[in-house]
Amino acid sequence: MRTDLPRRLALLVGHNTTLRLRDPGHLISYLVMPMVLMLVFSPLYRAALPRGGEAQAVIGMLVMFSVLSLSVVGTALLTERTWRTWNRMRVTPVSVVEMLIGKALPVFVLLVVQQTILIVFGAQVVDMPVAGSFALILSAVCVWSFALLAIGVALAGVVRSHGELAAVCDVGALTVSALGGALTPIAMMPAWAQAVAPASPGYWAVTMLKAAVAGEADAVARAALVLVAVGAVAGVLACIRIGRGLKELQG
Amino acid sequence: MLEALGLVKGYGPVNALDDFTLAARPGEIVGLVGHNGAGKTTFANIVSGLLRPDGGRVLVDGKAPGAARRLLGLAPQHIALYPTVTPRETLRLFGGLQGLRRRELGRAVTEIAEALRITDFLDRRVGVLSGGQQRRVQAAAAMVHRPALLLLDEPTAGVDPETRQSLLEVVRDHARTGAAVVYTTHYLPELTDLGASIAVARHGRVIARGEAGELLHGLPGEVRLTFDDEEMRVPTTDPAATLATMLVEATKPVRSVDLSRPTLDDLYRAVVRAH
Ligand SMILES: Nc1ncnc2c1ncn2[C@@H]1O[C@H](COP(=O)(O)OP(=O)(O)OP(=O)(O)O)[C@@H](O)[C@H]1O
Ligand SMILES: [Mg+2]
Repeated sequence: MRTDLPRRLALLVGHNTTLRLRDPGHLISYLVMPMVLMLVFSPLYRAALPRGGEAQAVIGMLVMFSVLSLSVVGTALLTERTWRTWNRMRVTPVSVVEMLIGKALPVFVLLVVQQTILIVFGAQVVDMPVAGSFALILSAVCVWSFALLAIGVALAGVVRSHGELAAVCDVGALTVSALGGALTPIAMMPAWAQAVAPASPGYWAVTMLKAAVAGEADAVARAALVLVAVGAVAGVLACIRIGRGLKELQG
Repeated sequence: MLEALGLVKGYGPVNALDDFTLAARPGEIVGLVGHNGAGKTTFANIVSGLLRPDGGRVLVDGKAPGAARRLLGLAPQHIALYPTVTPRETLRLFGGLQGLRRRELGRAVTEIAEALRITDFLDRRVGVLSGGQQRRVQAAAAMVHRPALLLLDEPTAGVDPETRQSLLEVVRDHARTGAAVVYTTHYLPELTDLGASIAVARHGRVIARGEAGELLHGLPGEVRLTFDDEEMRVPTTDPAATLATMLVEATKPVRSVDLSRPTLDDLYRAVVRAH
């Protein structure tokens, strides 16, 4: 019955939130590690950059570790296969789309919370100057989390095992964030790297979040547009991939 | 309630199902038996809508399996539970997704937990429970919403005798309310206890179908008498008469009497021979 849909979604969101919170290891380490690295690296960035050294340290680490958090999305989907619960859930009135929404929403909230905490930490402890409004920063954080989530679901549809997922996430996260200017400010990178940087979603994330913190709404909007487009493409790919996977299953 | 006609399903060169036909009426328990790889699990997966058959058709209450998931309860052969949540959370999740509301849901969870004796560990994590305890939770999750068609795929694998009895009781009660049950097992006495009709599958096909009494009638059991210094075994299709004769003819004091009922093996052999 269609009227049951909101109740089912609420159940699924609650259930998946429980699953995430009972297995918090990754989330905690992806929160603590960037904090430590921000503190360790901020003197270096401050010395290297006349302006914006703190923002580089905070936003750079935030982007790198939020990309690493992608593995949480992938793991969440893969373990359902290992536990055989994915098929078990399909023998209930729940549809695949409902299941994916039920999984994605809690992870989205966790990503937003993670990044918000890191920005607050950056402002309070690393002394990053914040000129942007809370609303502007939160919108930027939400856009980036959406793009990450879509990429994560698309990845989970392609990889077959936890080992593959870990490899893709680690290599992918470092490449995306390094090329995107999360580690070295873009202006200091070699010319070839500067040329390919915009191909990395990390580049747009760093640009957007730095602009949000600096209160430059126009720049936020431009980068957000790119990230929404990337997220949409990844989302469509994920749906196609998962649809095909279901057909294979039913053979 | 369940009607499967001429199902065909291949995995590459393997014909898992090859013209598999089986029906179950409301209130009927069908005991589905057959050797490993006979196609029992494949059949359950097709009825659940997890697999699409290459040929034939299935109707659940007149509907395609995908459209009948609300009527269905499945306890898969392998444990399919979330290890980090508790049995109570598991039952509330599956009951809720199947449409039970607050108070109704609470009551259903308590009832099935008591019936299957999982009350003691309702609030421990599923992952730390023993194999047999997990089995009970899995069966409870399949039954919490009182499905009109219940599919139990080897629900008693690895459970102790007491749990087996309570499970059989719950299944019997459930069928009495008008539900159709397909019960897969490798253990024949369970089916006689359930009062189930029997379907024997072999190489992806049901080769014998009927009431337990009919199929088991005439199968040889065995009467065994033990004396102080020797043992007498006599195969028989009429244990009562054979026992009476043996006792009358015994010349020494009898220490013990054993009647063994026909086993699943005896049934397979008889059915395969007749086929
Ligand atoms: N996913 C699969 N891929 C390939 N072959 C499969 C798959 N699932 C089942 N089979 C094959 O199909 C046949 C029927 O398997 P099925 O699991 O239905 O048997 P079963 O009667 O449930 O056996 P058991 O008593 O061991 O549980 C077997 O030969 C099996 O190897
Ligand atoms: Mg099986």
